[in-house]
Amino acid sequence: MKGSVRLEGVVKRHGATTVLHGVDLDIEPGEFFVLLGPSGSGKTTTLRILAGLEEVSGGRVLMDGADVTAQEPGERDVAMVFQSYALYPHMTVAQNIAFPLKMVGTDPAATQQAVADAAGKVGIGHLLERRPGQLSGGQQQRVALARAIVRQPRLFLLDEPLSNLDAKLRLETRLELHALQRALGATAVYVTHDQEEAMTLADRIAVFMEGRIVQVGTPREVFSRPATVEVAGFIGTPPMNLLPARWEGSRLLIGSEAIAAPSATNAPREVTVGVRPGDLRLASAGIDARIERIEDLGDTCITSFAVGGRLLKQKSDRLPQAREGDAVRLAFAPEAAHVFDRATGARL
Amino acid sequence: MASAARPARSLAAQERRFALALLAPALAVLLLTTTAPLVYLGWTSLMRLDLAMPYLSGFAGLDNYVKMGSDPRFWNSLALTGIYTASTVVLQVVIGLTLALLVLQIPRGQALLRIAAILPIVLAPVVVGLFWRTLVLAPDFGLVDLVTRSLGLGSHNWLGDPQLALISVIAIHTWQWTPFAFLVLLASLATLPPDVYEAARLDRASAWQRFVHITLPLLRPAIVMVVILRMMTALSAFAAIFAATGGGPGSATEILNLYAYRTSFTELNLGYGSSLAVVLLAITLAISFVMFRLRRAR
Amino acid sequence: MPRTLWRRLALAAVAGVGVAVWVFPVLWGLLTSFKTERDVLAYPPVWLFKPTLDNYREVIFGASSIVPNLWSSFVLATATTLLTMLIAVPAAYALGRLRFPAKRMSGFYVLVTQMLPPVGLIIPYYLVLQKLGALDTYGGLTVIYLTFALPFAIWLMVTYFEDIPLEMEEAALLDRAGRLRTLWYVILPQVRGGIAVTTIFVFLNAWNEFMFAVVLGGNRVRPVTVAMFNFISVEQTQWAKVAAGAMLAMLPVIIIGLFAQRHIVKGLTVGAVKGGGRR
Repeated sequence: MKGSVRLEGVVKRHGATTVLHGVDLDIEPGEFFVLLGPSGSGKTTTLRILAGLEEVSGGRVLMDGADVTAQEPGERDVAMVFQSYALYPHMTVAQNIAFPLKMVGTDPAATQQAVADAAGKVGIGHLLERRPGQLSGGQQQRVALARAIVRQPRLFLLDEPLSNLDAKLRLETRLELHALQRALGATAVYVTHDQEEAMTLADRIAVFMEGRIVQVGTPREVFSRPATVEVAGFIGTPPMNLLPARWEGSRLLIGSEAIAAPSATNAPREVTVGVRPGDLRLASAGIDARIERIEDLGDTCITSFAVGGRLLKQKSDRLPQAREGDAVRLAFAPEAAHVFDRATGARL
Repeated sequence: MASAARPARSLAAQERRFALALLAPALAVLLLTTTAPLVYLGWTSLMRLDLAMPYLSGFAGLDNYVKMGSDPRFWNSLALTGIYTASTVVLQVVIGLTLALLVLQIPRGQALLRIAAILPIVLAPVVVGLFWRTLVLAPDFGLVDLVTRSLGLGSHNWLGDPQLALISVIAIHTWQWTPFAFLVLLASLATLPPDVYEAARLDRASAWQRFVHITLPLLRPAIVMVVILRMMTALSAFAAIFAATGGGPGSATEILNLYAYRTSFTELNLGYGSSLAVVLLAITLAISFVMFRLRRAR
Repeated sequence: MPRTLWRRLALAAVAGVGVAVWVFPVLWGLLTSFKTERDVLAYPPVWLFKPTLDNYREVIFGASSIVPNLWSSFVLATATTLLTMLIAVPAAYALGRLRFPAKRMSGFYVLVTQMLPPVGLIIPYYLVLQKLGALDTYGGLTVIYLTFALPFAIWLMVTYFEDIPLEMEEAALLDRAGRLRTLWYVILPQVRGGIAVTTIFVFLNAWNEFMFAVVLGGNRVRPVTVAMFNFISVEQTQWAKVAAGAMLAMLPVIIIGLFAQRHIVKGLTVGAVKGGGRR
């Protein structure tokens, strides 16, 4: 099966600024691989390096074991769906989809068949004679997809393809996209800054922070065992609550409150303790807090607490039995605590 | 990782080569037709080159430039260039802006006015000059004379009298190019955000205050652009004046362009004409440089 | 509301005066071109006169026919336009969309050449063409016309190229089109409108040119702008013939101008928008 990708020590500089500080990555054939990170973290640059649109300043790009670092975009057998779709406005939908085939001299009959197939797969067979300007955003997005799949590339690159759709359409298309990738069996590399999108789509996620990959893993791994405090703060809605603490033996000291640590340490150290909003609960004993705000979202409820000078958030499926302004106590199970080194941010 | 960096760079090199191949013909033509002649012009400006007296030709050093200092006709042309440029630009911007502001309030018929405004712009300046000289400004039966006579102001020799001639050529230029200022400013006015004006109204700004504190600042880039472009056109004005007065009577409308032309091709003194052309080029480039700097510094 | 009524009337009057001032001289010329020379000189002016086609007959078929001059203008303007577009469109594409060293410098250079006043350049043109024996030839004058047509066309086209979404080339390159086919199949079709507008402007400017033609032309290459002086001599001006000739000379540009009127403002402000070195 083809479609494996490997990045070895890829460095990218723009003048004096370094955008990528040596990225290593292995993507398995047929995998749905998501590059996740905040804007400016280098995920899009990495995707463009895979496409060949951006040259590397150092390192190698391998596809199916062959070094493609020097190959031009057209030689790499990869297709890309752009954030803006980049449809050719002067061509009909059919001509848009046929374009990558026409460019390599595919004979017209085969092209026509391939276009019809591709259009059928994304459900736009009835739009073939329209121009992109006459289509809705969702339809345009499908044309871009069809243009990518028509050539049956070994690798699909998708640059935030859902970001220009409205919320409802985004959810629907997300599911279809996943099904389509599974049906085609081709490798897909997908860039997004939306962690929810990443969680639902990905076989594996690479989390980018400031030009480095800080964690690679399945969505479950990334969510339940974030490798750094940045990842912890980036993933989850609302993001993980982070509190400074001191770790002594098997206890975590948060302010004056001592809480059982997930494990014991030999030497006392300064740490950051992270707790998912869903793991926080009101208790008779625990950290002193005051309820700042209760946001009732219908199926869930987000409660904000003031703790010291910080704001903690709790997510629950029930309304709390307290009111805004009430003084309460917060607790969490020892295994729910994520402990990070205060200085390096690394998970302990 | 030098082995990887080398071919990757060739990717950008390919774009570079493609770009240079596309650009090369244009640059070659421009070098050949603008830059090379400029160098040649600089050289001829240092020569004594009089087609009427070819036997005197030879290197003259800076003589031509020295001569300019004591040439009253040169200083006259320089002053006229200043007057002509300043007055036409100011008139065009003031009239164009006023008209644009008024027209913006007309609910219908703007399109008609826009079409009317395009008319003078597309005409050849030389045809415009001739037109005015004959049908508009000719004594006795020209359009303007018909009006002044019927208003009891009498007939005037609009292009024959030195002072009137200068006013006339300024009027001709203003007539032809005010539509430009009008169209550009009308277009910019139409793009100003209406909610700003609504906010200003709620803030109790009067119409005049809205103009001074909102319209003018927002319109400033467009006005500056119009001024720059109109200055460029005025500084290279030639055909309309040539057709209307030929620079006369005497040298009453002889701006620097016409003086350089007349010296070179009427009096056939190409050497001195070249030095005048050099001065003209220097002034134009200096002014455009200053204008663009002002614009960027904003 | 009498106040708004007054306001409306006043505004309408201003607009009316604007239209009149710009249009009336041309209409007056049109009227004059149908008058006999005697009617032209009548005072007070005759509004009701027997229109005559004699003037047009004279300037088209007569001894001083301007038809050869119209042809001359047409040949010059067409040759200039074709050559300009052929050179300017690729150059504008490079300046507008590709990355290469000295890009800003090149763009600035093109802009500066656009600002050179023609009078400043005509002496060397005259001397060089004379030496080459190219005075009064279409070839010579066409090359000279490139000096004002080319920078203008390049900068106008750049604005159209810049309007195209950035990802177009990238998508086409990934679709295996290569540089040249990307330009041909993907980019150029998207600037067809811009090419049309630029062509019109270049043609217009070349058609209207006078100074180069009067100095560097002659009996063979004598565009209509120069030929207008046929009807004016020291001893006698043939007013109605001037009017008829001017009408014929204006007709193409007026038609073209009305045709392209929506794009005129963009064409006229080219260079200044980007010329300030905004990018």
